[in-house]
Amino acid sequence: MTNIWLGLFSGIAFGFVIQRIGATDAHRMARSHLMLDADIPRFMVLAVALSAVGLFGLQSVGVGRLLPLPTSIVATGLAAVIFGIGWGLTGYCPGTTWAAAGEGRMDAVFALLGGLAGAALFAHLHETLIPILYDPTNAGRITLTDLFGNQAVAVAVLATGFGLCTWGIGKLWRHDNDEKNT
Amino acid sequence: MEYRNKQRIPYWNWVPAAFALSGIILFIFATYGPPASSSGFVSLLKGFFEWAAPDYIAAKAHYQFIPGPGSWIFAFVLGMAGGGFIAGRTSRDIPVRDMPPIWVKRFGAGRAKRYAATFFGGFLILFGSRLAGGCTLGLFISGSTQLAISGIYFGVVIFAVAMLTARLIFGKVAEKEDIQ
Repeated sequence: MTNIWLGLFSGIAFGFVIQRIGATDAHRMARSHLMLDADIPRFMVLAVALSAVGLFGLQSVGVGRLLPLPTSIVATGLAAVIFGIGWGLTGYCPGTTWAAAGEGRMDAVFALLGGLAGAALFAHLHETLIPILYDPTNAGRITLTDLFGNQAVAVAVLATGFGLCTWGIGKLWRHDNDEKNT
Repeated sequence: MEYRNKQRIPYWNWVPAAFALSGIILFIFATYGPPASSSGFVSLLKGFFEWAAPDYIAAKAHYQFIPGPGSWIFAFVLGMAGGGFIAGRTSRDIPVRDMPPIWVKRFGAGRAKRYAATFFGGFLILFGSRLAGGCTLGLFISGSTQLAISGIYFGVVIFAVAMLTARLIFGKVAEKEDIQ
């Protein structure tokens, strides 16, 4: 029961923040993808950099449960392509459809229904597709720590890399909003 | 345009928002584990099929990994809808629209077309997510936070493909007129 309250509370907080940054607005998401608005991508990338550093801190005091997903070169890549087409077309990703539907956006309700259909179809085909697409190129639960041999170094590399991306997005994307911010 | 540029931007500044989001992400890691949202769809389906077709659910591998609706996973996505609802009701400035202006410029104001497209897009994002094992949150954000190669790899490809797709679909419209 505690878990349900924790999940509900976390979801409300998460949904609230992503609505306030505008990630539930498909129009703003399309502008992000068109490199006309830098705020959402750099918000996401910076959040990951901060979370990675924070999680390293939590782990050092023995808090937190980790479960990194495996990397399948073919399946993860192909899945990302399919996902990217859907994301670019609608401006919604799985999490934002819930928040946007809650906000009252009807197109998100349809994205949610389509999502249920997509998940149901994949679940139905799981036994067929996983052995063909996922398993042959499954490299296991590899992380940057495996690559660099040291967790502190890996966290530093990730935080620096994502930090640079945050900066790069700010440079490469157009700056329509800057004058509005002042 | 001049007038529009002077309008107050209704959204939060991205830097404090990123700090807020990572605070929530860390809270989730500490109290539950890696956050995920595409699993919430599977959780809801599991609840439905457990009632409608219990034999089917028992035979399908994909439903064995994910708990039904009485779980953190489903409470989280339900909470997201609640968070969106509260946020939408408490902001007078952020527009709630189900026809994005850029879409209207490209495909017209027909709702049926927009809803059919988001249904199809939703289908694609969840099919992809379930194949990879996670979505923007469950794989890119929580994976990269855990330094997982899968999360970084997935993140790079989804951004690249979504940017390309958006450019192919909306690129011309966005160039022609300065759509805010």
